[in-house]
Amino acid sequence: MTATTGDFGAPMRTHGRGWRQRIGRATPYLLLAPGILWLLIFFVVPSVQMFLTSVSTGSVDSGFKLTFSSKAYETAFTRFPRQLTNSLVYGGLATVLTFLIGFPVAYTIAFRGGRYKNLLLFLVIAPFFTSFLIRTISWKILLNDTGPVIGPLKDAGLVPESFGLLYTPLAVVAGITYNFLPFMVLPLYVALEKIDPRLIEAAKDLYASNIGAFRRVTFPLALPGVFAGSILTFIPALGDWVNAELLGNTQTKMIGNVIQDRFIGQGDYPVAAALSFILMAGILVAVSLYARFLGTEQLTG
Amino acid sequence: MKYEIDASIDGLSRRRFLQGSAMAGFGAFLAACSGGSSQSPAPSGTNAVVIPTPPPASEAPSASPIPKVVTGPLHWAQWPAYIDLVGKAGEAGEYKPGSSPTIEAFKKQYKVDVNYEEKILANEDFYATIQQQLVAGLATGWDMITITDWLAAKVISKGWAEKLDQADVPNCSANIRDALKNQVWDPNQDYHYPWQSGMTGIGYNKATLTKAGKAEPKSLADLWALPADKVTFLNEKRDTFGLGLLKLGKKADPQTITADDLQAVHDDIKPLSEHGLRFVGNEYIQDFAAKKTWAAMTWSGDLASSGSENDRWVAPTEGSMIWTDNVVIPKGAVNKYTAELMINFCYDPKIAAQIANYVYYVSPVKGAKEEIAKLDKDAAKNPLLFPPDDVVAKQQNFQFLSDELEAKMNELYSDLAGT
Repeated sequence: MTATTGDFGAPMRTHGRGWRQRIGRATPYLLLAPGILWLLIFFVVPSVQMFLTSVSTGSVDSGFKLTFSSKAYETAFTRFPRQLTNSLVYGGLATVLTFLIGFPVAYTIAFRGGRYKNLLLFLVIAPFFTSFLIRTISWKILLNDTGPVIGPLKDAGLVPESFGLLYTPLAVVAGITYNFLPFMVLPLYVALEKIDPRLIEAAKDLYASNIGAFRRVTFPLALPGVFAGSILTFIPALGDWVNAELLGNTQTKMIGNVIQDRFIGQGDYPVAAALSFILMAGILVAVSLYARFLGTEQLTG
Repeated sequence: MKYEIDASIDGLSRRRFLQGSAMAGFGAFLAACSGGSSQSPAPSGTNAVVIPTPPPASEAPSASPIPKVVTGPLHWAQWPAYIDLVGKAGEAGEYKPGSSPTIEAFKKQYKVDVNYEEKILANEDFYATIQQQLVAGLATGWDMITITDWLAAKVISKGWAEKLDQADVPNCSANIRDALKNQVWDPNQDYHYPWQSGMTGIGYNKATLTKAGKAEPKSLADLWALPADKVTFLNEKRDTFGLGLLKLGKKADPQTITADDLQAVHDDIKPLSEHGLRFVGNEYIQDFAAKKTWAAMTWSGDLASSGSENDRWVAPTEGSMIWTDNVVIPKGAVNKYTAELMINFCYDPKIAAQIANYVYYVSPVKGAKEEIAKLDKDAAKNPLLFPPDDVVAKQQNFQFLSDELEAKMNELYSDLAGT
């Protein structure tokens, strides 16, 4: 305690210790501060702002006035059943598909990857080196009538001339599935990678079949990955609008397209804000239900 | 009477024409607009609610304290393939730095850099990117923007445009075609000069249609009758609704139509929208190239400048839309003087000829039709540059809508577009 001698004198010593203790107790909060500030500035403040916009009335050119009107919410809840359904169905389908495609991939990398593990993982995230938009536009080329998917089929006369994949719901789901696949594969890989292979060996020693060992050991242990992966896929897929815009037609628009149109096309900020708010609230509710169903400890593994 | 344009032949002659060094006065394009505006209701001062007017003089910024110094780089927001392009960029219809002789000549003459960006695919989308800055009185980052009549009128009437110093743009005031003068929303060209005018009609690919066993569309009724998932309309609502009115045999007159008329257009298009009709901006060019679109509502010059050899454009028998895109300097532009110099530069008949002969739209710059005929007979005969009288007679301007009609149209359009 030599540091507190001198001018401070003895009475200061306890004070000094208390100060240090307080610092010690505050350390976690200080470490969290940047994150909390970030959340406050970029999430809480905009959310409040968005809520206030959603209960305002007016137009872009003449400005919006806070009137606490619920009109935007009435419109938001009643006008867009098809787009809401599209979002849920496409988002849900894409999540299931990414799981079906992603699980074998993650499993193979985790258990059979060997020295190519890092290379394979790199390949999973390689598409991220290109922008989301470019990747989606390239699906337009792939699915086009003259593109590599249907072009040869058409030339061979296997499908009718009027057959097309681009601008159909199928194209939208395919686009979303492709774009969000890495978000499923990576958490699954992390979960599967952590599994001690000896546990599976033990299961087999106890006369479990391959399938039995997978069903009762591997898969349950991978559940945190399944949980994280489906959340990471479903949430952005639900709010996605780029795929529906570029690969779909007027009947495949999702709720994100409506929000975009209300903001940009019509300058109807209140309805756009109300829809964003409802979407956010809906996702929060869905995630907490999911977490309760699977148990929160699964979220953190 | 219909006419069609063989883009390939014109394309060749266009390039040949460009190579010719003697390029004088492009000009004169017939009274496309004068015919149009006397015929169509364009801005005539009968409806004060509908027509925006320039802001009061007091709001005009004082141009004099700004020193007349060339500054740069000049930031210019433009539509795709809307200036003369050569080489690969010309074939692709996509600007790359160095690919436009006009911009290169300007850079050389004034020793200033030009940041020319093909940022505008649709008026509304672009407007959304600058609207908030304009409302807040902040700079938009652009020195020049090219926007269609209705949006130009809106921006100018809100006081969001810099007042032009006419002393800086002598070519413009001398060479602007008379038909384009005296717009109610800016009668003295204080805030804008036209960039190009064009028509909205039907574009189609002859080969694709023939292969599918379909006849080439001549009327809007023909366009409506094609398989809806092979057709696109425009997300420029005034074009889609304007042609929709003509298809129903109504006059696309902003001052006589009612909300019911717009509703009728909506009801007429709705079944198509449920069967795969899509609404697009300038990107219809790519769908044409990919043969995904057989026929579409298109703007007159695009397929000729950037399309393939089998692409055709026709003015429908029911009539077509006429519009003008205008150069406006938004409030807070950093390089206002340079922007004025650029507008002035492009109003030199030689330069204007060079531009019009690539973009295939109607130039706003006065000149002699005989002059261009001496250089290139095909160009002088080109109905895109010089629409025949019967087409001109059926052109309608559907740009200025009252706030109520605009709101109604927005709502109906969103329903059609699936949002």
